[in-house]
Amino acid sequence: MIYCGSMAMELSDANLQTLTEYLKKTLDPDPAIRRPAEKFLESVEGNQNYPLLLLTLLEKSQDNVIKVCASVTFKNYIKRNWRIVEDEPNKICEADRVAIKANIVHLMLSSPEQIQKQLSDAISIIGREDFPQKWPDLLTEMVNRFQSGDFHVINGVLRTAHSLFKRYRHEFKSNELWTEIKLVLDAFALPLTNLFKATIELCSTHANDASALRILFSSLILISKLFYSLNFQDLPEFFEDNMETWMNNFHTLLTLDNKLLQTDDEEEAGLLELLKSQICDNAALYAQKYDEEFQLYLPRFVTAIWNLLVTTGQEVKYDLLVSNAIQFLASVCERPHYKNLFEDQNTLTSICEKVIVPNMEFRAADEEAFEDNSEEYIRRDLEGSDIDTRRRAACDLVRGLCKFFEGPVTGIFSGYVNSMLQEYAKNPSVNWKHKDAAIYLVTSLASKAQTQKHGITQANELVNLTEFFVNHILPDLKSANVNEFPVLKADGIKYIMIFRNQVPKEHLLVSIPLLINHLQAESIVVHTYAAHALERLFTMRGPNNATLFTAAEIAPFVEILLTNLFKALTLPGSSENEYIMKAIMRSFSLLQEAIIPYIPTLISQLTQKLLAVSKNPSKPHFNHYMFEAICLSIRITCKANPAAVVNFEEALFLVFTEILQNDVQEFIPYVFQVMSLLLETHKNDIPSSYMALFPHLLQPVLWERTGNIPALVRLLQAFLERGSNTIASAAADKIPGLLGVFQKLIASKANDHQGFYLLNSIIEHMPPESVDQYRKQIFILLFQRLQNSKTTKFIKSFLVFINLYCIKYGALALQEIFDGIQPKMFGMVLEKIIIPEIQKVSGNVEKKICAVGITKLLTECPPMMDTEYTKLWTPLLQSLIGLFELPEDDTIPDEEHFIDIEDTPGYQTAFSQLAFAGKKEHDPVGQMVNNPKIHLAQSLHKLSTACPGRVPSMVSTSLNAEALQYLQGYLQAASVTLL
Amino acid sequence: MPTLHAPEERLRKFKYRGKDVSMRRQRRIAVSLELRKAKKDEQALKRRNIANFSTDPASEQPTKGVSLTLQEIINGVNTSDPDLCFQATQAARKMLSQEKNPPLKLIVEAGLIPRLVEFLKLSPHPCLQFEAAWALTNIASGTSEQTQAVVEGGAIQPLVELLSSPHMTVCEQAVWALGNIAGDGSEFRDIVISSNAIPHLLALVSSTIPITFLRNITWTLSNLCRNKNPYPCKTAVKQMLPVLSHLLQHQDSEVLSDTCWALSYLTDGCNERIGQVVNTGVLPRLVQLMSSSELNVLTPSLRTIGNIVTGTDYQTQMAIDAGMLNVLPQLLMHPKSSIQKEAAWALSNVAAGPCQHIQRLIACGMLPPLVALLKNGEFKVQKEAVWTVANFTTGGTIDQLIHLVHSGVLEPLVNLLTIQDTKIVIIILDVISFILQAAEKLSEKENLCLLIEEIGGIDKIEALQLHENPQVALTALNIIENHFCEGEESGAILPALDQDNEFLNRLTKKHQGPTTSKQRTKP
Repeated sequence: MIYCGSMAMELSDANLQTLTEYLKKTLDPDPAIRRPAEKFLESVEGNQNYPLLLLTLLEKSQDNVIKVCASVTFKNYIKRNWRIVEDEPNKICEADRVAIKANIVHLMLSSPEQIQKQLSDAISIIGREDFPQKWPDLLTEMVNRFQSGDFHVINGVLRTAHSLFKRYRHEFKSNELWTEIKLVLDAFALPLTNLFKATIELCSTHANDASALRILFSSLILISKLFYSLNFQDLPEFFEDNMETWMNNFHTLLTLDNKLLQTDDEEEAGLLELLKSQICDNAALYAQKYDEEFQLYLPRFVTAIWNLLVTTGQEVKYDLLVSNAIQFLASVCERPHYKNLFEDQNTLTSICEKVIVPNMEFRAADEEAFEDNSEEYIRRDLEGSDIDTRRRAACDLVRGLCKFFEGPVTGIFSGYVNSMLQEYAKNPSVNWKHKDAAIYLVTSLASKAQTQKHGITQANELVNLTEFFVNHILPDLKSANVNEFPVLKADGIKYIMIFRNQVPKEHLLVSIPLLINHLQAESIVVHTYAAHALERLFTMRGPNNATLFTAAEIAPFVEILLTNLFKALTLPGSSENEYIMKAIMRSFSLLQEAIIPYIPTLISQLTQKLLAVSKNPSKPHFNHYMFEAICLSIRITCKANPAAVVNFEEALFLVFTEILQNDVQEFIPYVFQVMSLLLETHKNDIPSSYMALFPHLLQPVLWERTGNIPALVRLLQAFLERGSNTIASAAADKIPGLLGVFQKLIASKANDHQGFYLLNSIIEHMPPESVDQYRKQIFILLFQRLQNSKTTKFIKSFLVFINLYCIKYGALALQEIFDGIQPKMFGMVLEKIIIPEIQKVSGNVEKKICAVGITKLLTECPPMMDTEYTKLWTPLLQSLIGLFELPEDDTIPDEEHFIDIEDTPGYQTAFSQLAFAGKKEHDPVGQMVNNPKIHLAQSLHKLSTACPGRVPSMVSTSLNAEALQYLQGYLQAASVTLL
Repeated sequence: MPTLHAPEERLRKFKYRGKDVSMRRQRRIAVSLELRKAKKDEQALKRRNIANFSTDPASEQPTKGVSLTLQEIINGVNTSDPDLCFQATQAARKMLSQEKNPPLKLIVEAGLIPRLVEFLKLSPHPCLQFEAAWALTNIASGTSEQTQAVVEGGAIQPLVELLSSPHMTVCEQAVWALGNIAGDGSEFRDIVISSNAIPHLLALVSSTIPITFLRNITWTLSNLCRNKNPYPCKTAVKQMLPVLSHLLQHQDSEVLSDTCWALSYLTDGCNERIGQVVNTGVLPRLVQLMSSSELNVLTPSLRTIGNIVTGTDYQTQMAIDAGMLNVLPQLLMHPKSSIQKEAAWALSNVAAGPCQHIQRLIACGMLPPLVALLKNGEFKVQKEAVWTVANFTTGGTIDQLIHLVHSGVLEPLVNLLTIQDTKIVIIILDVISFILQAAEKLSEKENLCLLIEEIGGIDKIEALQLHENPQVALTALNIIENHFCEGEESGAILPALDQDNEFLNRLTKKHQGPTTSKQRTKP
């Protein structure tokens, strides 16, 4: 049945007039006029003929503005409504759909460009839904237009085809997709090929007519793009049969130049560049995927592309073409069977000389970025986000060539490096760029593998990196003027940074004071690199996994290092420089006690910085490292002198209060973590200053933000650990609030583990009588969650909790509380949860808690011995032995595979855990039980003495053989027997 | 208590995007649509007879000087004089046998077929029967419409009857004609079968006949096994299998080639059909033929083995026991890329099996050539190799996975991330993500991350976050976020600290399995 939103609108002049009025109003800058008009249009768009009225307007309106406005409105209407969603009403009535499809291609082709674009977009939206089944005429209609000879029309068709077919480039192979492609190939491949040939012929007939050429070249670009799409999934039979036509013409086009098509613009790529760039992509596609069939043509393309590179200038507009072309050569030269195309010494030399070296030059654009856009420059240069640049492409080509020709290529480049260095020496201030290129060349030649953590990890053995360092890098860094030739300084520092694992330690040690000195350089890139290099050097590992540089080795420079680092933060453009802050953090971490004398100054500088950035936190990394540095200061100082914690509280609390009061969201989790660290440092009872804060921590609004939760839980745990008695005596009225937090957390799949952290701390630390009245309620809440949405994570946490409870309150108490909720509940928990799921518990401490808890259930719980629960005794023992001996069960049920990533712990977008605010692992059964297996043996022994004969018989009748063997091992180790 | 082999069991439960082993195996069957040209090394569907091949007296009739026009031929066949009919038929046959542009269309349109079919029945005139059969053979070798014209002319039944002709040449020509008809597709194949051709063909094999004749019979039999939708009926297959198994012992390479092709068609189907073939005991001989120096024997025998390992674990086990894995390494290194591809495909299906099969695969030294193919193979070969790695990864044990990584598989895999094939890219991303998860369990993630970074993996995966295909982009993003975000920090900062946070934090952490003393592999 055909569904229509409501009544039909007549295709009348009156309606056209009304529509025109409303369209006009949608362009009005005044929202009071614009909004109602938009609302009105939305309200009538469900009516039949509405889209046809729009099409009529865009074709026939006298007003150009209205035409364009109608075309945009039409496109948006199609975008919103064309797709038929299952179970939802069809939003465009069938008659309109048919009419639109019948007219739109013609309309699109006869419209001026601005409108053509909108309609072309609309066609591809419709095509995505209807093509090919529900729009069988589309292809023929398009192909017929190729005959028109009107390139305005032809380009319209080509553009539409491109928007319809380009999805073939990224969709997965499927029967449906391939059926469509086959259909397209059958109807389109031959006409496209003929059009391609005809267009090329026209290009030579119109070789002197610039405007004609521009249109023809636009066609050629589109044709080449279509070629790419149609050939992407696999090599179609048609194109294999017609490879000669296509490839010969592509080849000719690559070598073609026409002055009329050259543009004056230095930045924007012209038609010629775009076409050649696409042809490079096409050739690369064939070389990569259809090697066997393309082999014949490949050598010619290599030559053509290489000639193209040799003759292409340095302007930015050629960048994409050049990097595409170089990447093509790089991918071909690595293939064993094309080795011969490159191995001739003259070829290699000329590739090195004419392709690689020129593209490694530091260009005006690079210089601009270095000075005016340092952040971007650093990101590209340091973090490798330079994928499409010429330098990167040239670098990849060097690596590709080195695969087979490392020796010759190194030899050729050594010559270049030397001559460039000589040029530089002749007149450094004019020729410094030669040295820059030389350093870049050495770097790209020498580095075979690289990581952020270690710098270069595999180097070309033919390059003497240390010699180059001593002769060409050190002298620059030693020069007294840190502001001279900043690019070369940055190059030198980067050299140290990336080759830090190749250059011997004694040389690195020499460079440390030089790097410290360069922290003062005015250039942002230079002092940033210096900070980064220091930070990297300080993380290097020597033998035994200790840091390569010891605190003692750096000791002579401590004062100047710290001074320069903090001074660097005052240099223009670097007030929130994350590299510098990271270097500060790393220096603290390396130097440890050596920084104690400077702490008063350091902490005051850090708090000032904190105060300043808390006004408008904008650099998350900077902020994170800043808090890490604060934590380090606290840990290092208080380790030697715990009493000093008071000084930190004095220095920090004022700023913290301000942050909390102003609700600086980004910083609040950090503040809670630092406070936890400070609170845990107190050895005695909880200071009253903290207790005053306690009620505020329970405010629901704080818990609304997920980013706060881990830090808040951590802080509440610190409160419970240090101040449980104070809470019980002075703030007992807050206990329900505390449990309210627990209740809220437990309700969420994402945060339930945090709820258990809190609950476990309450059970472990609070005096039993203070929570007595709430215990049953807690268990009921947990059961509700188990019933409603049971997840593996929840069960694991639940198991640890009940065993901790058993340890703390006794096995009998656990049995009683379960059976108090509902008779025989304890047996169900044993049978349905503990026994089958215990193997899933992870973590050593967690497993230990469970082991000790279950041991108690087995040996200290009378109902386990003489009620109906007795039949579960041996299965429980067996599962405990399984917990000891079997690998952990980390399977996850199918339905939990696709739990959103946000639901899993460890991934908290808003929470940034401070590594240096972490605390020691806490083992609540540590003193009580050392070896849980021995403990089990001893407990069983004790039980067996109480009821002789029963334990051995239960064990021997139903424990399986393997488990029994393990158990005997424990008994032996504990030197006890079962009576 | 669960058994101690639990970890392997668990790893096997990991889902490969929800696909289980059997789905991973049946790739070939799933997408049969091709954009490509038909493969050149496949067996011919139909063949034209363009040379006189026999010295049988029946064909030594005077043939010289007879060159008639089409009209004269038409007139000739329509007379009742057997001699004139013979001359006309022979002239027609000659036209149809000329090497270039035989006038198949003209002859069909001239309406000669009904008469030619009549001639087949004239047993007193074996020479005429022979010429008619030959002419019909060549017509049937044409397009589907032309074959159809022969069938509609009623040729099948008389041709089947000629299979018992006392004249060997006549008989042979009938075999050939039937082969062409059956080769057209399932429909005509089944008509030939239901016309009871098979018992006659089989009877011919057992007699002593010249090798050329035997070749023809084998080829026709292979066409009777060929084509799906539907497959030839099980009874027919059951009839043919013993003879095929016998022919497989022959020494002639053409006979062997067509026999292997026949078996390859029979195994290109469900497990039950594979079972039918495997149970005849042909596996050892097939494996032997995979080492043949003749490409036309090697290709179909490899294809058959490849088909068989798409079957059940048991059927695959039989192929492994017959020694297929001993031959595969050399085929993976074969100079022809189409052989490499078939071998890699077969390997990918062995890798889709249980870890015991994967163990055999490792033991037979399959990993080095596999890595070599990933590095330097043609794309179509690399593609199969990637599938092999993917199946291996999802089905192997932790130890096998370690072995795989140590064999240097990651570097070529990472390099392939720039390939213009979305499916392959997503598979590689899945493999990387899977290996990272396994490494996490072994506390080896940090080293693995470094290795991946060294070989340029991070750059490539980061670039894929911008991929047009949303699934690729998302998978890449997840890998970066889960494994490479600030990953170095935890390693770099934490040593100054006690290892972990509060005890309960560990509740939800991944199990830290027994740490192996694995060295980081240098590519």
